[in-house]
Amino acid sequence: MEFRRGFTRRYPPLKILTEEEVEEIHRATLQILWSTGVHIEHERALSLFEQHGCKVDHEDMRVRMPPALVEQCLRQAPSSFPAPARDPKKSLMLGGNNLALAVAPGHKTVDSTTWEPREATRKENYDAVRVLDALPTVHFFSPYTPYFGFQGVPSCMAMPESLAARIRCSSKFQCVGFSNDSEMFAIEMAKAVGIEILGTCAWAPPLALYRDAVESTFRIVEAGFCLRVVGGQVMGGTSPASIAGAIVNNNAEVIAGLVLAQLIRPGTRVLVKDFTAPMNMSSGAPAFGGIEIALHNTATSQLFQWYGVPLDHTTAYPNSKLPDYQSATEKAFRVMSAGISGGNTMLFHGSVHGELTHHPIQAILDDDMAGMVGRFMEGVEVSTESLATDLIEKVGPVPGHFMNAAHTRKWWKQEQFVPKTSDRLTYPEWQTSGKKTCIDYARERMDDLVATHKPMPLTPSQEDAIERVLEEARTYYLKKGLITDDEMREYRDSMKSPNYPFE
Amino acid sequence: MSSDILGNLKKAILDYDPDASAECARRAVESGINPAEILSALTDAIREIGEGFSSGELFLPDLVGAADALSSATPIVEAEIARTGAKTERMGTVVIGTVFGDIHTIGKTMVATLLQAEGFTVHDVGINVTAEQFVDAIRTHKPDILAMSALMTMTAPEQRKVINSLETEGLRDSVKIMVGGGAITQEFADGVGADGYDPTAPGAAKLARKLMGK
Repeated sequence: MEFRRGFTRRYPPLKILTEEEVEEIHRATLQILWSTGVHIEHERALSLFEQHGCKVDHEDMRVRMPPALVEQCLRQAPSSFPAPARDPKKSLMLGGNNLALAVAPGHKTVDSTTWEPREATRKENYDAVRVLDALPTVHFFSPYTPYFGFQGVPSCMAMPESLAARIRCSSKFQCVGFSNDSEMFAIEMAKAVGIEILGTCAWAPPLALYRDAVESTFRIVEAGFCLRVVGGQVMGGTSPASIAGAIVNNNAEVIAGLVLAQLIRPGTRVLVKDFTAPMNMSSGAPAFGGIEIALHNTATSQLFQWYGVPLDHTTAYPNSKLPDYQSATEKAFRVMSAGISGGNTMLFHGSVHGELTHHPIQAILDDDMAGMVGRFMEGVEVSTESLATDLIEKVGPVPGHFMNAAHTRKWWKQEQFVPKTSDRLTYPEWQTSGKKTCIDYARERMDDLVATHKPMPLTPSQEDAIERVLEEARTYYLKKGLITDDEMREYRDSMKSPNYPFE
Repeated sequence: MSSDILGNLKKAILDYDPDASAECARRAVESGINPAEILSALTDAIREIGEGFSSGELFLPDLVGAADALSSATPIVEAEIARTGAKTERMGTVVIGTVFGDIHTIGKTMVATLLQAEGFTVHDVGINVTAEQFVDAIRTHKPDILAMSALMTMTAPEQRKVINSLETEGLRDSVKIMVGGGAITQEFADGVGADGYDPTAPGAAKLARKLMGK
């Protein structure tokens, strides 16, 4: 399978709400934004809202938005927009009937035999990026992927180092997060290398937006980049437990973020993320594998198609701790629901357990699952040639068969998606070839990609620019006291490898 | 000149084109090329397809498509061999079919094609073949090997019935018997007195060579 610019759904999206229900949710959202409002800890943002007719309580940092302003901003945001990649062949169009899948990050890697988490090495981080660059169904990269950090790197440098690795070892479109002003260096690095990025504004549910997120929003939008507005509620904890109530809560947050982006710069390209999970009522942790997420995402998709704003579905994090039946079930329902309901993006590949762990073996398994969903989204072609009535008449009843037909040789390749890691051997073949599982095949593919995949190279000046921005970030964080002298010494030592930055 | 004609014949097989392969075979015969050489070109082409299939580069529809092209050329060449009495180096002759009650064609067709690729002359008697029909085919074609397929557990005992019929008719010792199909195991093959079994189609083709002592 070749890289394609996302998957295209060729039939109408699944609708699970009536039109009246969609409007009811919208009215409830407008009501919350006007009567309850949202808490925004950023004086410049509060003033901006005030200038545009919002009721602002500066002491309480509460913004109440008039429905007309909200609806005007929803109309202003583009219904789809280009997401250019370093390699133009990998540029995307986010929105419409297109689904683009991205990497699901993890704090750590895992030992791929015991599935115990541990910190990734620099080499493991860079190798994992190369594997993800090679996988055709990874359409773009999400923030702090594949790992939240790696050995030798102080935590405040995790974001800049992550983006540096992703630009060096992948030519796909990049999304960035924010932490301790990291977006400043992301913007600088992107401009220096000459690439576009998708920035992030993340809410603290219920209904609160903290300073860092707002600062990131201003910087990204003013730099002319596109913005992803992320919720993050846990149903029954930081939002109502009812799915409809959770949709209203999430909607109020992400739409308020969209309004902010439109007020900063009208027409800003916004991708809204419906990041939701039910709460595990025994532990309080998000039940990321819950099927209720698919219901929430599917209903929200319907809402955002009505608004005409692209939607990112909840990241496909499994609750399982290793690639097994549970993991596959949790991921499959979610990615399939995104495919058929009109989700425009989803962070999907590589998460082994929740946000805790990521591994290339899992990403390779997910590449096959993504390919299956992409195939499902293509639907059934009905044409004179595909109906094949002439052929059926020619072959006739038994002993006729279709195996020798030129039509078969052409169409099977077009119609069948053949996964690379699924075991489709006959039973005796499976026995004689070492009883391999899909994980064995994924491990073989990982080894092969690590050994052979060559990402699109950077020019020497691009490489210099990346290292210059990293050095600026190191100096900045050292001055701010976020890196101790000991940490810096260890960090510098880790850069003395002859194969720096790759190992 | 003769290499051009045989090259085109080979290409017709590799292009899965039964009309072109028949036409090229006719032209080869008319131009007086030794029919043994023509047959050898056909075997080379189908062997190339068989190797592609075994290595995973080609797939079942390619295999069967090439076999189809081969089947339209082979009778033309064989008729010339019979007419001229030319000496040919064939691996042997096989009668192949799926047993009575079983209508599964794919595995049997794969084995038939790969046997052709190994240089065997193959008489495919089809699916749902009764013991009597197998006996008749053996009398008619006098094969070196009888290959029987059964996919279903319920139809596997039919293979025993065919072997019993051959014994009754005094034909058992005239052929080597190989059995295969989803329902068959080595234990079953041993139990019915078959001479060989392999779980895969490429393995079955190699087994046939082995049964011929090659």
